[in-house]
Amino acid sequence: MNNIISNFLYIGSGIAISLELLLGGIIIGAVLGTLLSILRYKGICRSAINGFVSFIRGTPLILQLSVVYFVVPSFIGVKLGIISTGVIAFGINSSAYVAEIFRGGINSVPKGQFEAARSLEIPSYYMWKDIILPQVFINIFPAFVNEIVALLKETSLIVTIGGMDIMRKSQIIAAEQYEYFIPLCIAGIYYYCLVLLIEFIGRKIEQRKLSIKNL
Amino acid sequence: MNNENLALKICNIDKTFNDARVLENINLEVRKSEILGLAGSSGSGKSTLLRCIQKLDVPDSGEIKCDCKVGFMFQDFQLFPHMTVLQNLVYAPSLKRKKDKEQFVDQAMDMLKSLGMESKASEYPKTLSGGQKQRAALVRSLMTKPDILLCDEPTSGLDVATIIDVVSLLKSINELGVTLIIASHDLDFLTKIANRVVLIKKGKIAVDVELSKQTDPVSYLREYY
Ligand SMILES: Nc1ncnc2c1ncn2[C@@H]1O[C@H](COP(=O)(O)OP(=O)(O)O)[C@@H](O)[C@H]1O
Ligand SMILES: [Mg+2]
Repeated sequence: MNNIISNFLYIGSGIAISLELLLGGIIIGAVLGTLLSILRYKGICRSAINGFVSFIRGTPLILQLSVVYFVVPSFIGVKLGIISTGVIAFGINSSAYVAEIFRGGINSVPKGQFEAARSLEIPSYYMWKDIILPQVFINIFPAFVNEIVALLKETSLIVTIGGMDIMRKSQIIAAEQYEYFIPLCIAGIYYYCLVLLIEFIGRKIEQRKLSIKNL
Repeated sequence: MNNENLALKICNIDKTFNDARVLENINLEVRKSEILGLAGSSGSGKSTLLRCIQKLDVPDSGEIKCDCKVGFMFQDFQLFPHMTVLQNLVYAPSLKRKKDKEQFVDQAMDMLKSLGMESKASEYPKTLSGGQKQRAALVRSLMTKPDILLCDEPTSGLDVATIIDVVSLLKSINELGVTLIIASHDLDFLTKIANRVVLIKKGKIAVDVELSKQTDPVSYLREYY
């Protein structure tokens, strides 16, 4: 019994890293993905952005992670830490998915909203910030929550470059104690609880902030 | 523009959408402070003409000369759904003059009041009826102080009493010097408000009448409708 509790605590201490990766990745992903989708909508660098999105979505995340960890440092001459690598790779990967989610979100805002903003002489920056993006966020919010959940699960790939997250810690316990079932269950419970928590928060935000859903 | 008294000059414009001729050889001069009615049945090209003037659509050929600030009231309102009515009204003007926001709020409230809408100021557009949205959209298009206001079907869906309020608001705006171009299929409304009515039929100007010169403009226009 004592053993299970100490396993629980040990594996749980990996949550911080998983969440760090998730938070860093989703922030980069959201910001970069938003920018990419706006540029693409305006026709700026459209084919380059399409190519980037298609390539990122068409190659395994584990490969992208390895490239950032093993290949990129030799180009830029700086060795990146495990967490920085993860945040960058997950962020870039997520930006491609966010850009796709945004494409649908922007297209669902009626053209007339852009025209109304133009007719009122609202400058482009403010049009996007105050008129279009708030509506896009309302539209895509559920899909964005799904992306956060997917990214949380994918942060477990950090084990391939030695990150000590929930997954890695459960593997360590398993290797030490020649017992897979319990540590993997514990890791599964942690991930699942985090997912439920994210979904719960998402629903709360949706009910509160997005109740003006009349688009 | 060569003529000082003109607010707008449309020279020979054509517009097609996927091979369908929507505007054909339109020539039109609009004087400053005029109230011009654009009449015509549904699909005749009124909205397209207004959209060309506002540069939302680009004519295939011809030219539109206009040095004025143009405002637009959309047929389908296009209120911003995530903002309250008041926010819809004051957002654009306050962007340019942040410190005058209070003043814009007062102006917006005055205009809402004149249209019986003051109680709706803090409502979201989705809670408004069609007629209420229309009035909010009208006030919003006036808030940026255009020299020319283009109104696309400003009375569709309004009851008679509200139409009278809209007519008097538009007239008072016009007395301040704003040129109005109003597209509507409602001849009774247009002849009540306009100085001049241009009837569009299948993308062409069919008649152009000064209302002061007609004793019974409605029946005169009906003949061409
Ligand atoms: N963006 C568009 N694409 C294709 N056809 C259009 C478009 N806008 C208008 N039309 C067509 O042009 C014609 C005139 O439309 P419109 O200007 O809206 O007429 P009105 O406002 O007088 O009812 C209609 O037949 C309509 O179907
Ligand atoms: Mg129309």
